[in-house]
Amino acid sequence: MTRYILKRLVGMLVVVLIVLTIAFVIVRLAPGDPAALLLGPDATPEDAAELREKLGLNSPILVQYMAFLGNAVRGDLGNSLFFNRPVTEVLLARAEPTTFLALFSLLISLVIAVPIGIYAAYRRGSWLDQSAVSTAMLAASVPSFWTGLMFQRYLATEMGWFPASDYGGPDADFISRMGYLVLPSIVLGIVNSALILRFTRASMLDILGEDFVRTARSKGMSERRVVLRHALKNAAIPIITIIGLTFANLVSGAVVTERVFNLPGMGNLVVNAVLRRDYPVIQGTLIVVAVLYVLINLMVDLVYLLVDKRVRY
Amino acid sequence: MSLSFKWIVPAALAAAGLSGTAMPAFAETNLTVAIVGEPDTLDPMVSTKDVVSIVTQHFIETLYTFDASWDVAPLLATTLPKISADGTLYTIELRQGITFHDGSTMDSADVVASLNRWLTVATRGKSVASKIVSVTATGPYTIEIQLSEPYAPLLSLLAFSNSAAAVYPEEILGADTLTAVVGTGPYEVIAHVPDQYIQVGRFAGYVPRDEEPSGSAGRRAALADEIRFVPVPDANTRVEGLLSGQYDYADALPAESLARVTANTVAEPVILAPFGWPVWALNHKAGLMTNADIRRAVQAALPIDDMLYAAFGDDNFFMVDGPMYPEGWVWRNDAGVENYNQNSPAKAAEYLKAGGYDGTPLRILTSHQYEFHFKMAEVAKVALEAAGFKVQLDVVDWATLGQQRNDPALWDIYISHSPFLPEPALTDLYASTSRLGWSEPGKDAVWDKFTTTTDLAERQALFADLQRANFEDVGFIKIGGFNALMGQKTGLQGVTPSPWPNFWNATYQ
Repeated sequence: MTRYILKRLVGMLVVVLIVLTIAFVIVRLAPGDPAALLLGPDATPEDAAELREKLGLNSPILVQYMAFLGNAVRGDLGNSLFFNRPVTEVLLARAEPTTFLALFSLLISLVIAVPIGIYAAYRRGSWLDQSAVSTAMLAASVPSFWTGLMFQRYLATEMGWFPASDYGGPDADFISRMGYLVLPSIVLGIVNSALILRFTRASMLDILGEDFVRTARSKGMSERRVVLRHALKNAAIPIITIIGLTFANLVSGAVVTERVFNLPGMGNLVVNAVLRRDYPVIQGTLIVVAVLYVLINLMVDLVYLLVDKRVRY
Repeated sequence: MSLSFKWIVPAALAAAGLSGTAMPAFAETNLTVAIVGEPDTLDPMVSTKDVVSIVTQHFIETLYTFDASWDVAPLLATTLPKISADGTLYTIELRQGITFHDGSTMDSADVVASLNRWLTVATRGKSVASKIVSVTATGPYTIEIQLSEPYAPLLSLLAFSNSAAAVYPEEILGADTLTAVVGTGPYEVIAHVPDQYIQVGRFAGYVPRDEEPSGSAGRRAALADEIRFVPVPDANTRVEGLLSGQYDYADALPAESLARVTANTVAEPVILAPFGWPVWALNHKAGLMTNADIRRAVQAALPIDDMLYAAFGDDNFFMVDGPMYPEGWVWRNDAGVENYNQNSPAKAAEYLKAGGYDGTPLRILTSHQYEFHFKMAEVAKVALEAAGFKVQLDVVDWATLGQQRNDPALWDIYISHSPFLPEPALTDLYASTSRLGWSEPGKDAVWDKFTTTTDLAERQALFADLQRANFEDVGFIKIGGFNALMGQKTGLQGVTPSPWPNFWNATYQ
């Protein structure tokens, strides 16, 4: 198993290297001059050229790439052109809102999706099953920005139940900052619950038709025990997979929701970095996202071991 | 000045074990101001962005500033300078007892070092550097600026908060990038969390001027204990934050939110009329626009009313107005305005014929960053095509536009906008050295005279000549005027609408 984990971690390095190279090239192929953006609209072309030189953007792309690789190996992702601070510091500052937004959203998704998914499968064809399925379809089809805007306008601005935007000012402590995440989490939770619900329902439907479920029932086991203990445990692997992917997706940046609610997370950072042509930040974010995806997938695979004794690595 | 948050802590939070949270309790005198984006620097010398000016003017000061009529007024200088008869020597007396935020006292050495840095690193400073022979301290509180020839815009450049001639302690200067921004303003920086807030607090050592407040001039009372500038890039989010009571002031709101902001009791609209003007910048260095007749064809074809209506959608937000300056400004004149808003495909076709137009596509570079730029380009495209042009609309993002407009091979026209600047020479559009490269012997001579003459009446007459030259030779095209919508919490007073609003005299009654 240690061997397996090591193998996966080595694989991760390859993935990161590929992502890094693609990111490096694509970002530089896009037109746009970070220097002109930094100096503002009235700066002269000569000023921009001077700043580009100072920022090292005029050296050959291969030289820039090798320097970047060399630094990245030492854990130095470079300096943000826009913030003039190390990229690692910029990314770390975004970790808190993004991580907790992802956690809360996932929690809300699970609270909504898993019980309803199980019940819908158990009562297949009932009105609850049908309405759950169609509601899930609806939730999955409505874009998160629309839900975000509606919730923001009616629940925050009109009703005053939540803060409308931001992540707390200088006075906000951890708990009050978390208060700013509640409404965005509900929005993301609802949007993401649709997929988890459908996976839970489909997976449970498969399992509930299996022989061992019938056997369990014939032994006189209570329905609750049959469904929650025997069926759910066997249906868990696809559900865990989709939960893992949803979480990775959320951590890598709930771009639109962060934008609507003005949250200083990874999603907002990467959008702004693209608009500002802040190459080191774009590259840094992509590396972090790639690493997160690989790690979360690895964790999901390890969780399989816990739920299903038949799984061996 | 209170922000009473009425948010409930929802059940979901309680379920997550976070119940019993205390929502932020703000002190009585804090202002939260939503700005359009993150200022990448707190050093106003090195940036020409408005958002940098809006924030930094609270803690960084200049020798001069502008009053409510956009006349230059003293700030760190005691009075307006003594100018020698030949207009080349400026003697500036500095205020005494001015303390920097680091506790040191401002004297002439600080001002000389700051101005020398401005001449080296600031876009606007560099534009005047070739005319400045020396900046010297002639006493502990007196400096002299020696020019090689008279240069009328100098005082306005020294007063402008954008690419500002900021005054810093001599000790922190030296490197191009300041490690800490230390000013003399009524507020000092407490904390800066990028993309979240810039927190400034009242500076105890500040000595305000005695004059009545007017624009950025006069007494800066620092009435609020703290001001928090929050970057909120999404315009709709600024509206919601304002209407929910989170923001005391929100900059640049979408015109379509006027009805909501007006109907609400929490906030009230602030309309800056006029804010500025959309400009079509023409490429005189290469391509189609080097041909004066084809430039005149573009000017003749443009349906200004339709373009402005498409761009702003509401009569409250635009003016079909040809002169370069709005009513009430000293630079207002009617020279050449008969060429404005011709909306005549026939006349444009005549010019095209006279110019020998061969069907080369007219490349218009624009962006969705400012939706009104794109909308007016779309309307203009139809009119230009009706006049016989082939039009290629190059719609790119703002970063790409910023880069491509620096290469004359890539565009014929790019679309931008500008606030109405207090001094016409603060824009380089008229100068042959600008990115546009508009050079015409008659106009160039007038421009040189305009920048070296100091008599206002004479300058007004010269500016009329410049405006006429712009209409006749079509250097660039002013599309019209537009207003800006901002919003403030009901009851907030002391904020003068401006492209660069300040909050040092803001208070609630």
